[in-house]
Amino acid sequence: MTATHENRTTARGAMHMLALAGASCLVFALTGGASFAADKVTLTYMASQDWVKDAEQALAKKFEAKTGIAIDFQILPSGQYFNVLQTKLNSGEGPDLFGGQSGVTDLKLQYNVEKNAVDLTNEPWAAKEDKLIAAQSTLGGKLYGLTYWDILGNTWVISYNKKLFAQYGLSEPKSYAEFKAACQKLLDNGIQPIYEPVADGWHHVLWFPELGPRFEQVTPGLADALNANKATFAGNPTMLSAVTELKEMFDLSYMGKNALADVYTGASKAMASGKVGMVLANTGFGSLVEHDYPDMKASDIGVFLMPLADNQQVNINPAGPTHFIYAGSAHVDAAKQYLAFLAEPENVDYFIDNTPTAMTLPFTGAKSKFSPDVQALFDSHKEARGTVYQTAVAYVNPQWMDIGADLTAMFTGSMGPDKVLANIDKRRADLAKAARDPAWKK
Amino acid sequence: MKSHRSYPFTFVVAALVLYVTFFIIPSLSGIAYSFTDWSGYSDEVEFVGLDNFRTILSPDENYLSFIGNTLLFTFWTIIIKTVFGLALALLLNQGVRWFVNGYRVLIYLPVILPTLVVALIFRSILDPASGLLNSALRGIGLDALALPWLTDPRIALYSVIGADSWKGIGYIMVILLAGLQTIPKDLYEAASIDGASAWAKFRFITLPMLMPALMIVTVLNVLYGLRVFDIVYALTNGGPGYATEVLSTEIFKAFSKGQFGLGTAISSILFLILVVTGYLVIRVMERQSDRE
Repeated sequence: MTATHENRTTARGAMHMLALAGASCLVFALTGGASFAADKVTLTYMASQDWVKDAEQALAKKFEAKTGIAIDFQILPSGQYFNVLQTKLNSGEGPDLFGGQSGVTDLKLQYNVEKNAVDLTNEPWAAKEDKLIAAQSTLGGKLYGLTYWDILGNTWVISYNKKLFAQYGLSEPKSYAEFKAACQKLLDNGIQPIYEPVADGWHHVLWFPELGPRFEQVTPGLADALNANKATFAGNPTMLSAVTELKEMFDLSYMGKNALADVYTGASKAMASGKVGMVLANTGFGSLVEHDYPDMKASDIGVFLMPLADNQQVNINPAGPTHFIYAGSAHVDAAKQYLAFLAEPENVDYFIDNTPTAMTLPFTGAKSKFSPDVQALFDSHKEARGTVYQTAVAYVNPQWMDIGADLTAMFTGSMGPDKVLANIDKRRADLAKAARDPAWKK
Repeated sequence: MKSHRSYPFTFVVAALVLYVTFFIIPSLSGIAYSFTDWSGYSDEVEFVGLDNFRTILSPDENYLSFIGNTLLFTFWTIIIKTVFGLALALLLNQGVRWFVNGYRVLIYLPVILPTLVVALIFRSILDPASGLLNSALRGIGLDALALPWLTDPRIALYSVIGADSWKGIGYIMVILLAGLQTIPKDLYEAASIDGASAWAKFRFITLPMLMPALMIVTVLNVLYGLRVFDIVYALTNGGPGYATEVLSTEIFKAFSKGQFGLGTAISSILFLILVVTGYLVIRVMERQSDRE
């Protein structure tokens, strides 16, 4: 009898313990795992893969040591990130901080920042952020994000092997005709002129919308007309030239015989092999090659502008991965403190020093690590620069991979250049209609 | 009496509620959404009638070629898997005398490999420049046969079909082998006494007796082929261009781009194709079975 009673008591106690543990788990889950200690705040920061650099994680540790506020990085694969973020934002369960691509169209369409993000216009760092770049995080006159990304360093230019160019008596091309002649000369000498990783699906798209400044130079006001639905891509002769020339480069084997299977992660190896003349890459590519293959120095790699459609304009993309504070966060002040901490000059310089691919950050007084060649290119084109079309023109960026598939279909002969342009217009119209864009209303 | 009639219903009611809640209602609402412009770009959802279906069936769009690719994939994988699966099953049932279990395991092994692993293996085998297949072909002087297996739009879909068949043959073989082992041996003995040839025994005993198993594998292959996603996504992601795009990969892409109305419309069309094809296959095979 006593034993049975004891057994029952023990069983009841165990049940109570289980219930308590279950309740604790439930409370923990419902609070999103937030810290219980009154003096300890943990901010969740959700971002896409590659957007959070090691240097930022180190800065977050310093921030925690200084303020007691911890940052819990939730990094998702890039292919899933947008869907997961949208689900969280739409269900009212967003993280304290979230990453997103700036760009006025994306701010409104993809992130709905007026509803989901906190106004940061009066933050102390706002005045120090580059105006062109801050404008891409601004909607309705309010600044919503901190762009902590090397914008200028992510300018896509053609990196070339200086030794090969010197060996075959080539100079930096300034027109498509010169570029084609250089490619042919390299090909004739057994060198693959360009390493173009088409298999990734995104890289070969760069050759087109990145020429936005050239399109704008030939047809001033074109981006505005496209955004107002008063112009189209199809029928624009400069755009048609650019896409046709891209097709010609593929057909003439300038991209190599394996372009459709090549991936961007192989670009530095290809360049270091000495068997490839050029790669379309960002301005930090030389440093990356030297880092991966020390036998080739960054100084062995020169840069010039993409010469399709005779382009000689620097293609700046002022949009990039940006930090937003979720409007529904319970820790808005702590999140603001974190952004202010990141933007402090010594932390900006720390980030640049400790991120191999970052040449600079878009803040007044930030240091620069550009190679002399890249610096010379920027210096010589201070007036000849503009915004790329994936940022300047609405509904281009969301169809990036579709354009990639169309261009690949064009390479393989199942689509013509004019159809590629017409498809861009078609998808823009579909997206605009879905977004209830007044410019597309009947 | 009344309570007796309702007695079985009480056992299934819980499962029925779950089935209706988590399958029937979402499926019906999915079909309903296919008539809307629901997207991730606007909070408003408007009824657009048949617009999404018109887009899908328009010759100016690529969707018809995705339907064609899906049907082509299904057709060829059924043929290859069934023919080779049957051949292997016959070999293991009668032709091979020793190490039978070892062979069964070896042939079945690809089935248990994750599709992603299979795709990575085939990507490295079929790489045009450094792949094992082309290196081997070049090594024996057959340079002309070293083709861009995954990057030529004319052959990429067949490469995917080949990779998928390699993975799936073992599964079909096991089902057919089980079917073969249910055929009474005395039928073959009687046929032998009557002087029947090996072909006659196969044609008039094996095939008719195997018809139920063949029907199962055909239906399974049809359902699998029409819904195929993972091997295509991992091996080519629908490329080059749109050469290997199938309905399921396009549904995934439509949802990824926030085109939920269009995505559900493609899903509805796939559902319709599945129902019609499945019904036709079963009817044809039943008639064939009755005739035998």
